[in-house]
Amino acid sequence: MIRHHPSEALLLRHAAGRLPPAHATVLDAHLARCGQCRVALGAAEAVGGALLQTLAPAALAPDALANTLARLDAPLDPLPAPGMADRVPDLIGAWPARPWRRIAPGIATLALSPRDATDTRLDMLRVAPGAGLLGHGHAGLETLVVLRGAFEDGVASYAEGDFAEADATLAHRPVALPGGPCICLFATTGHLKPHSLLGRLLRPLLGM
Amino acid sequence: MSLPDADCRHGQWLRAIAERRDRAAFAALFLDFAPRLKAWLVRAGARPDLAEDMAQETMLAVWHKAALYDPARATAAAWIFTILRNRHIDQVRGTRARTEADFPPPPVSPAACPAPTQDAVLIAAERAARLHAALRTLPPDQRAALHLAYFEACSHTEMGKALGVPLGTVKSRLRLAMAKLRLALAEDEDEAAP
Repeated sequence: MIRHHPSEALLLRHAAGRLPPAHATVLDAHLARCGQCRVALGAAEAVGGALLQTLAPAALAPDALANTLARLDAPLDPLPAPGMADRVPDLIGAWPARPWRRIAPGIATLALSPRDATDTRLDMLRVAPGAGLLGHGHAGLETLVVLRGAFEDGVASYAEGDFAEADATLAHRPVALPGGPCICLFATTGHLKPHSLLGRLLRPLLGM
Repeated sequence: MSLPDADCRHGQWLRAIAERRDRAAFAALFLDFAPRLKAWLVRAGARPDLAEDMAQETMLAVWHKAALYDPARATAAAWIFTILRNRHIDQVRGTRARTEADFPPPPVSPAACPAPTQDAVLIAAERAARLHAALRTLPPDQRAALHLAYFEACSHTEMGKALGVPLGTVKSRLRLAMAKLRLALAEDEDEAAP
């Protein structure tokens, strides 16, 4: 059962199309597993529609309507293929050929999309049972969804489908729980801020 | 015109487009929505000329997808909003953001597509009316937080700065606001429950 959900603020920004793509992908992976949040997203979209109607209209080009009417019967432009990071549903199975990179004993990452214009990157993380990440804080927003296994961060435990978000106010040290490896999809804006000396030493290896 | 009347007409126009490829209904819908689509895009940071193009593209998508509109699931404005949002995301990312859901539908024969009933359009319009009323009665600080989340091009951590309060305060205002708005949206479901 999913116990950890995105905040209202995050869902609203997702509904408005305002999240950096990497965070949107993590949220989509949670939404695919969480009916409750899909309902909440529907409400947020309804609010978006209602707010749209209250905006002061912008002036259109004089021929905007005529232009659009003239194009109604033309075929739609063919659509380019979806980008790699957009295919959430079976993220684990989708890249068997892509190598995991070992960054510490029991810990490996797989880079899905590099740092973008919003300074956000998307990665997958695989942590062997009992292995832990460095204690870290956040310079910006971090979102994470558990795809397999479970971890706990000293505050709560997170299982498959659970969503975690952290911003500059949170410092935590996630540790994978016994069982299979814990696999997470996570997006980070800005650089993580490791607390420990070891963290500072390992940071260049993590590239985060 | 009041918004609830508008919501009802929007649903009927979408139905007319889906059933009869009604160009007059499309033109009416265009005049109501395209200027606001452009306004939304400009606030989201789009250049005015690109916003103009994308507003027109979005309305073209509305024309092509009208048969997919289901008033039982969303108000007309919410449906158009999601098409606009997806186009905007695509443009920002330079890729297709949402896949299956956003592809043009295969041609649908009128017989194969159960037309939304007048009832469903009315129920959606009533839902929208309750939502508009609830939005109007929100405390100003909650409404400001909503506008920030939907319309202003700022990052998650900048949201607090923009309102001059901690991010946690913005988050709790959004929670309170959405609790009220969800209640307004769900009212008819409560009535339908035994």
